[in-house]
Amino acid sequence: MDFVCIWEEVSLSSRVRFLLIAVLVVILLSVLALLFFPGQHPPVTSLENAKLALKLAAKSGALHYAKESYRSAEKTLQNGWMEMARQNGRLALFRNYEVADSTLRLASEMAKESEQKTRERIHYLDSVAQSQCADLRNELSLCRDALDGSLANFQAERYWSAAELSLTMSELLAVRGEYEEACQTAAKGRESLHQLIETLAEYANDEAKKINVWRRWVQETLAESRTKGTYAVIVDKSTHKTYLVRAGNIVHTYNCELGYNSVHQKLFAGDGATPEGKYQISAVKRFSKYYKALLINYPNQLDRNRFVENKKKGIISSHARIGGLIEIHGGGGRNEDWTDGCVALTNKEMDHIMQYVTVGTPVTIVRRSDQWP
Amino acid sequence: MFKRSAVVLVVFALLVFVSCAKPPEQEIQKANGSIEAARASEAEEYVPDAFQVAMDTLNAANAAKTEADGKFALFRSYGKAKEMFIRAEALANEAATQAAAEKERVRAEVEGILTQAKAVLDSADAALKKAPKGKGSKADIELIKNDFAAAQASFDEGQNDFNAGKYKSAKAKVEASMQRAQAVITQIEEAKAKKAGK
Repeated sequence: MDFVCIWEEVSLSSRVRFLLIAVLVVILLSVLALLFFPGQHPPVTSLENAKLALKLAAKSGALHYAKESYRSAEKTLQNGWMEMARQNGRLALFRNYEVADSTLRLASEMAKESEQKTRERIHYLDSVAQSQCADLRNELSLCRDALDGSLANFQAERYWSAAELSLTMSELLAVRGEYEEACQTAAKGRESLHQLIETLAEYANDEAKKINVWRRWVQETLAESRTKGTYAVIVDKSTHKTYLVRAGNIVHTYNCELGYNSVHQKLFAGDGATPEGKYQISAVKRFSKYYKALLINYPNQLDRNRFVENKKKGIISSHARIGGLIEIHGGGGRNEDWTDGCVALTNKEMDHIMQYVTVGTPVTIVRRSDQWP
Repeated sequence: MFKRSAVVLVVFALLVFVSCAKPPEQEIQKANGSIEAARASEAEEYVPDAFQVAMDTLNAANAAKTEADGKFALFRSYGKAKEMFIRAEALANEAATQAAAEKERVRAEVEGILTQAKAVLDSADAALKKAPKGKGSKADIELIKNDFAAAQASFDEGQNDFNAGKYKSAKAKVEASMQRAQAVITQIEEAKAKKAGK
């Protein structure tokens, strides 16, 4: 008996029942296949790689140095992740992870690019900071040489100190990775040095205005010495030299030390400046706190006029005194400007000069004597 | 009667499915709010690892919600997504708390250095007032005063940075100021020794 014979022998209701069961089984199997068919695998590896790349970018400082590209990478990662989730929500048979996978790979590339940009930016900023510190260091050194080669200028020194501290701060900031701050601080240091240079330039201009006066004083002193055949003393502050002159010719040169603030003309008592002008020896002291001393007649009339004028203009305090007791004295040889305004020679040099000078001997003090000797 | 019961049962079952299929809107809002709050408290800068864990959890929660959105209503469930949003909120809150604590730690550290530097500056100022006077020391003292002025200016800059919350640069500037103030004290001691030696 074959299937056809059996089928013919079975009743109609049994046949219908059999067909219904067969259809139901087919539908059930189809549904099970749709639900549990494995389909494509979600790009979990791409997701983890993208997350790791983003983490490394964040660690490198991308949030600070490459924020835009970091955020773009972050957004792309989120988009890829959501696309993967969208596909996960579909029936297995209809899932397609291609877009999710390519988006996540792109996110990974973008994160690596962001990290690379960060490293390059840090390297660039570090180089700039180092270069600016090096430039500042060089400028400081040049300014130091200029300051050391001239009379102490405390205003200029103040700017130098500020610039030097800016260099120290800048170097500390660079070491701690604060490159932008380091560059800004180095720039402040250079600004201080510019102010220093402006101060020195102002000073040089001031000198340029007065140089003719100093030249005239020196020539007048030499002319008088020549005419009368007498001794005179000329002090050049900028070179720290004291010249003993007879009949207009130098007979001896001494190294001398001056007031600690001799970069300027003396303005008032206690300013630490050695006065500039034409004076005379008014007293010879064979015994002095500083071995021996030659008192000069500061202040002269020009000094008095200037003092009154400066008070009127408010350049000096109304309570200031003009000062006095400016001497050429011993106790020198310290290689620095240390007096309150006097001219200091060594004791041996005091013994020498005092053989030749007396009350009335002209003493001319100039800031700079550029055409003589 | 049997038909009525069957209809009631079917309607009840449908209601149950529909209620489980609602996205956890409240939990989503809370989690997003907490992440933004953590970001505003600079958790990304001060506690980057903790913040990243919170962010990853939020992203995973969004993914779970998106996955559930795509499923057929009868099989849709937001239970897992809801749990993850709650966890993301808790992690973000934790990151914000840690960030606040870390910021406070850094602030306290820099404040300590500021106090230290102030003490050294005050000592330098006092030493300057008692610095040797008289011939031979005035030039040195004038130069030392310049150094002190620079140290003071650096301290003031550091204080300004501290007040603005720029702790790293404040620390560097104040440390530089302290070094310079210490040098001032040393220079005054040397000036005293020099004067005594004459």
